[in-house]
Amino acid sequence: MNKTAFYLIPLFIFIGLLTFLYQGLFSNPREHESTLLEHSVPEFVLPDLMDTQKKHTQDVFIGKITLLNVWGVWCTTCAIELPYLKQLQQEGKHIVGLYYDQDIDPDFGIKTVQRVQQEVNQTYSQLGNPYAFNIFDVKRNLSLDLGVTGAPETYLIDKQGKIRLHHIGDLNPRVWANKFAAIYAQLEAE
Amino acid sequence: MLAELGNFSLVMALVTAVLLSIYPMWGAYKNHPQMMAMAKPLAIGMFLFTGFSYFCLTYAFVHDDFSLAYVANTSSASLPIQYKYTGVWGGHEGSFLLWVMIFSTWTVAVALFSKAIPVKMVARVLAILGAIGIGFYLFMLLTSNPFDRLLPFYPIDGKDLNPLLQDFGMIIHPPMLYMGYVGFSVAFSFAIAALISGQLDSTWARWSRPWTIAAWSFLTLGLALGSWWAYYELGWGGWWFWDPSENAAFMPWLAGTALMHSLAVTEKRKVFKSWTVFLAISAFSLSLLGTFLIRSGVLVSVHAFASDPSRGLFILGLLAVIIGGSLFLYALRASQVKSNGQYTLVSREVLLMGNNVFLTAATLVVLLGTLFPLVHKELGMGSISIGAPFFNQMFTYLIVPFVLFMGIGPLSRWKNQSPQALYKQLTIAFGLSLSAAVLINLSYDQVSYMAVLGLVMSFWIMVTTIMEIQQRIRSQDNNQSANFSELKKLTRSHWGMVLGHLGFAVALIGMALVSAYSDERNVRMAPGDKIVVQGYEFEFKGVTAHQGPNYTADLANVDVFQGNDKIASLVAEKRFYPIQRNVMTEAGIDSGFTRDLFVALGEQLKNGDWSIRIYVKPFITWIWGGAFIMALGGVLSISDRRYRMARLAKNNKANKTANSSTAQPLSEQVS
Repeated sequence: MNKTAFYLIPLFIFIGLLTFLYQGLFSNPREHESTLLEHSVPEFVLPDLMDTQKKHTQDVFIGKITLLNVWGVWCTTCAIELPYLKQLQQEGKHIVGLYYDQDIDPDFGIKTVQRVQQEVNQTYSQLGNPYAFNIFDVKRNLSLDLGVTGAPETYLIDKQGKIRLHHIGDLNPRVWANKFAAIYAQLEAE
Repeated sequence: MLAELGNFSLVMALVTAVLLSIYPMWGAYKNHPQMMAMAKPLAIGMFLFTGFSYFCLTYAFVHDDFSLAYVANTSSASLPIQYKYTGVWGGHEGSFLLWVMIFSTWTVAVALFSKAIPVKMVARVLAILGAIGIGFYLFMLLTSNPFDRLLPFYPIDGKDLNPLLQDFGMIIHPPMLYMGYVGFSVAFSFAIAALISGQLDSTWARWSRPWTIAAWSFLTLGLALGSWWAYYELGWGGWWFWDPSENAAFMPWLAGTALMHSLAVTEKRKVFKSWTVFLAISAFSLSLLGTFLIRSGVLVSVHAFASDPSRGLFILGLLAVIIGGSLFLYALRASQVKSNGQYTLVSREVLLMGNNVFLTAATLVVLLGTLFPLVHKELGMGSISIGAPFFNQMFTYLIVPFVLFMGIGPLSRWKNQSPQALYKQLTIAFGLSLSAAVLINLSYDQVSYMAVLGLVMSFWIMVTTIMEIQQRIRSQDNNQSANFSELKKLTRSHWGMVLGHLGFAVALIGMALVSAYSDERNVRMAPGDKIVVQGYEFEFKGVTAHQGPNYTADLANVDVFQGNDKIASLVAEKRFYPIQRNVMTEAGIDSGFTRDLFVALGEQLKNGDWSIRIYVKPFITWIWGGAFIMALGGVLSISDRRYRMARLAKNNKANKTANSSTAQPLSEQVS
């Protein structure tokens, strides 16, 4: 009988595997959860987009509930999202932009910082500026550390500078109601 | 109309599969010759019905019948004619029809070419194949029927075939791959039939060996073609990406390689019996698992078909029944099996076991690496991704002892091998391969240790393989002179092994050198610009526009000079397919024996320059050449006289024993 038990091992492993495959069927493989949830924002020192002399660090998130929005003018979905962000800002939310530009590239770089600022200002004049300020992620290091997969993405950061939520894709009233509202209210209460 | 007939024919194929799974099995149980004799005509029927169904779908493609949803989704009127034929397997439903088509072909092949095997065994094997068939035909008819109509409102033109698939490599890659995948169902059925009958001796191993080798050869070719396709069509210039879909096909290959070797041991030495059965179950189970992973959308991959949970659920159900059932049966029966061969610690048995251990470990590495992200996420630990670095590192560790065994195994004897006798040969082999590898690597400016390691391993396999041939000839004739005519005396299956091992060594040379000495440049170029990469001067002549049958393209002309000689004129394309709004790159490649020159066109930059990728890839064609040699070895093995002669000799014997319930294991023929 013991011997049969030994030969049953593959079957049990297979049954275990089946349960995972079954669960996998009903979840979206493209949905990523940031590995940094419940962790502090990683350390960084990055310039402000509009004033590159000014530096921001991870401490800028302390003391306020922040929505950190990853975006760029080259990203069409971000442009659709901007008016809603503006509305959120008018409701009193503190929104910080994490800006990165695809065309600033060590090999193919032809864009100057002035040019980027000009493009950003142009976008603001059309769609509004929801951001308190923008962190300029020149080499995309912070984006990588945060586990950004594309743009737009939004992180909800609490008063202690801890990441509480990571949303991939645009922010809209539906996403806000389903995913953000409850946690935001909870953070305000903390 | 023809589509309805195709659909009906598919239903008939399902009906024959049901009958095939019942009657012969019942006949074998009741010892009823007529019922067992039903197996062959039913298998032929299943094949013919599936074939007709396949013909109907092809007809719909060629005649642009866009009232069929599947045709409308995967073809268009302007699609070139050869892709209308191959577009049949360009989407989920059609590729599954190709799958069952190939499945029924294997089934009918077993029915026709198994005259040497006792009727009872064949009846069981075919019945099991029929039972597997039920699952697949049901899956097609219930969740992925390619004959679904879009009536009454059907489109004027189709959505076109995915441009990635409009390519020669894609014409032959899926059929080869499926031949391999599905081919393992035969070895699986033999194993299950042996488990059911309780006769787990070495005979089933002998019978399923040629089938396993055939499936393995197809899978080898399929993998090589897929890799080649990714190389020139995706425009990245890589040859293996550890993409989940590649892993899904690689796992059955690893398990199949282990199975092929383990079957040899079980047949010749009557040991590792339960392990071999387990491998036969695993190889086909991994094929099924791969099918599930790719078609259910559980994992993200270049291949992923449109995901639909109901399809995934159905395949998962099939997995549960087929794999779960066979593992349960295995647990019940395998525990009663005794392996009665005797061997010592240093013997060919143990070395082949070592080979199996490393192949199994490699399979597990790929399996875990592919599934771990899923498991991790479902356990609520967040999403992670496991990429090439993990696999590359693990395979570097595994391949070294594997290759060591691969060299020693064929040189050593069954049962017992004195280590001292091998010592001298192995020292010479190692010395030769080390010095050859170092010498070759010194010709490169910056020597890479990994390349040295890779070449040492390749030469080690080559040298030991040649030594083995020498040794074999000497032992055959007891004379010391090995002249050329002696080579002819070696059996074809022996040459099969030699080619299989040499092919692996050739592929390994390609992998080692291309990984270490590739030169990849992404540059911006204006027309007239030149760049020198590894002694080759690439001159960008400019970009011209071109109109294809169902696309428009930019053609970049790049001339390559070596010294003052122009050695190649490459054309790299960037195609735009308007119907699917897809941009595709077609790399310009000059393939050579020792290197490939590879040019791909990137984006146009704002000032009119172009970004261009220029790669020099040394010895990359050796990877696919090696795979081809391996597959050729498989073909040689199957064509061995042993299988044909044995068939004739056993025919009489088999007829005699067919009616008695205790078909005796046939005499061992040790070559």
